[in-house]
Amino acid sequence: MVLVVNEVSDDSQHESPDHPERPGRVQAVMGALASLDLGSDLIVAPTHVATRNELLRVHDAGYLDELGAYCYGGGGDIDQDTYATYDSWSIATLAAGAGLSVVTELQRRGEGVGFVAVRPPGHHALRDRAMGFCLLNNVAVTAASLVSQGERVVVVDWDVHHGNGTQQIFWDEPNVLYISLHQWPLFPGSGSAVEIGGRSALGSVLNVPLPAGATGDVTRRALDEIVAPVVDAFGPTWVLVSAGFDAHYLDPMADLCLSDGDFAAMASCVSRYVSTPGRLAFFLEGGYHLEALRASVAATLASVLGAPHEGEPATNGGPGASQLESVRAQRLAAFESWTRELGN
Amino acid sequence: MKTLNSIAVGYDGSPESEHAVRWAARLARTVDATLTVLHASGILERLGSPFSHSVAPDAVERILTEEGLDSTRCHWVVDEGDACSALLHSASPPINAELLVVGSRGHGKRPGMLIGSVSLEVVQHSSVPVVVIPGP
Repeated sequence: MVLVVNEVSDDSQHESPDHPERPGRVQAVMGALASLDLGSDLIVAPTHVATRNELLRVHDAGYLDELGAYCYGGGGDIDQDTYATYDSWSIATLAAGAGLSVVTELQRRGEGVGFVAVRPPGHHALRDRAMGFCLLNNVAVTAASLVSQGERVVVVDWDVHHGNGTQQIFWDEPNVLYISLHQWPLFPGSGSAVEIGGRSALGSVLNVPLPAGATGDVTRRALDEIVAPVVDAFGPTWVLVSAGFDAHYLDPMADLCLSDGDFAAMASCVSRYVSTPGRLAFFLEGGYHLEALRASVAATLASVLGAPHEGEPATNGGPGASQLESVRAQRLAAFESWTRELGN
Repeated sequence: MKTLNSIAVGYDGSPESEHAVRWAARLARTVDATLTVLHASGILERLGSPFSHSVAPDAVERILTEEGLDSTRCHWVVDEGDACSALLHSASPPINAELLVVGSRGHGKRPGMLIGSVSLEVVQHSSVPVVVIPGP
């Protein structure tokens, strides 16, 4: 099976001293791709800079204007976590366009799997605000483009942090099902099971908060037993994965305890969510321990491509299994509450 | 008639935010309101020296004591989110702040731009009145 990746561009000018969201992250991903030795099965999609109209599907015009002006004014700290530099606007619009290019290539071929290796990441970027290292919401730009083509899109977000930006952008969009597995409580504080989508799209958000220390057996059960039935009922034509790798046990940003073998298992689960070939693409989000990132990306892609790979085994035994039933119950209660409110 | 029951003020450890806490404490004492001193931990704080979730920093305790605020009327809250979101959320349960107080600078550096200025972002998005306190 072919792997379609974006053409990696120079992102070295989007960096800040000692900041963990740094250019070496994409280099680690490229190391993972090289280790798979895919030869002619590795396809590079051409560079595409996201246009203003493509960005306007998910971001407010005023925000885009301010962000561009802020960058070209020299940039600086946006908040306590997020920075921009003079070059960040051009780098971020390349990142936002990369998914569009990869998806276009997958559509043209009608086969393969996509991987979008870009930074800065995107899933915290709100319609009108940067946050959590994110400037533009890369996965949302691609999902919105697919929706404009009449597709139904599942976004599976397994970054250790809840993707509040993606959830907000598609809160009332019935053609996007947003699913997040994340540590909770943790930044950004959102992502409880009672958040199920807006009035026009009830049920289009599925959050599975996990306790610190959770291991891969819990994420696998969540994907198979809680997420899969909801995905089946939704009937997606595309699956996009907000693939953060900061839930790895070595990552300094959080306290989940996944191995690279767990990412491989999760990738295998989500690849079954859509049956048509060429309708699955992964987007790099977090992942700040470079060796863990390299190993996890390699394991993820080997799993979905059927490529040989030797990595860590999947993990078991952490907390969280008992909370999965609670997720189901809270979600049902939220539905009932909304139904009562809409009936009044 | 009591007009103000709950005030929230943002604190990030900067002198500007200490100044805002002092102003908010004086107002809370004057109108007999509950004061919530709110710190947003963000993502990166865990890599450094995170603030305690249960005990307010010495600088905050000192200000509240100096301003004569009854300790039962003050709360220290650490929010997992970013500063702007944390302040905006404080207008909802359980804090139910009816007034937000924020220092004018903090991490923001670019005069006149929403981006990079927590205070301007809060002013733009808040559903309750906001007081922006100039730096000391």
